[in-house]
Amino acid sequence: MDDKDKIMIEEFFKQAAKQQIEDNGFTERVLMNLPDREVEEARRLSRLWTLFCLAVGSMLFFLLGGWPVLKDLLQGGFHMLVSAFEVLLVTATTTEIPVNPWALLLTLGFVIVFLPYQIARKLYVIQ
Amino acid sequence: MAELSDIALVTQVAVFRNKKAFDQLVRKYQSPVRRFFLNQTGGDGQLSDDLAQETFIKAYTNITKFRGVASFSTWLMRIAYNVFYDEIRSRKQTEDIDTTAIKNTKMSGSDTGMNMDIQTALAQLKPDERTCITLQLIDGYPIDQISKITGMNENTVKSHLKRGKDKLAIYLKENGYGR
Repeated sequence: MDDKDKIMIEEFFKQAAKQQIEDNGFTERVLMNLPDREVEEARRLSRLWTLFCLAVGSMLFFLLGGWPVLKDLLQGGFHMLVSAFEVLLVTATTTEIPVNPWALLLTLGFVIVFLPYQIARKLYVIQ
Repeated sequence: MAELSDIALVTQVAVFRNKKAFDQLVRKYQSPVRRFFLNQTGGDGQLSDDLAQETFIKAYTNITKFRGVASFSTWLMRIAYNVFYDEIRSRKQTEDIDTTAIKNTKMSGSDTGMNMDIQTALAQLKPDERTCITLQLIDGYPIDQISKITGMNENTVKSHLKRGKDKLAIYLKENGYGR
């Protein structure tokens, strides 16, 4: 590219460089949409409070021997679930209760995946 | 009230969340920021204003991160650049902006025909070339500042500028300029 081309391009953009865009209420719209300091502060405090509660809860959980209780609870729940499933398998073939496997899968997916995800999202674990 | 320097205004916003000080900053920089977006989006006024608004809101919420190493305008344009490329990424296809925007040209100013010509000429360039060309030839930033705004190294900026200018020279000659 020679000097003549350079000058041609610079001349072409000269007018665009001088162009000023009128405000026409733009600044007011920006200021109206700025986040409030109080709201920001409240959100920050809310996150800190959640973290604090989580830390205290975890500490108490371990100090007061919460793990064996939780383990028993989970084991009991698991056994109950297995028993219920066994009963369902035995009775479903001998009775006329229609069990749609897709509906069962969807329900399990909702309970095992979707609900924990939503809870975690609400607690800001997943952004 | 006497006009304060950018640093003084930024300090007012960062320390006291002074909205009047931020108002002055927005008034001062709304034109270059909106013009930057108009040039990147092919003259789409509505999209440009939305992106410019997002840029100023991000600047406000992150103002404490401004360290004063670069000028406030460079820092602001860096945010604008990131906002624009986030928009491109969110649309997945760059063509969305490239092809539809020309139709929606709503440039303000007296010489709309000339603006159309500029937007059509800029549409010949790839997004990175367009960004470098407009930052240099319209907004008047030197290469080192363009490098800071875009995060590209200076040699990459230079090669985008060269390729962009070559394309523009061919396009302008074909359309009767430079005779």
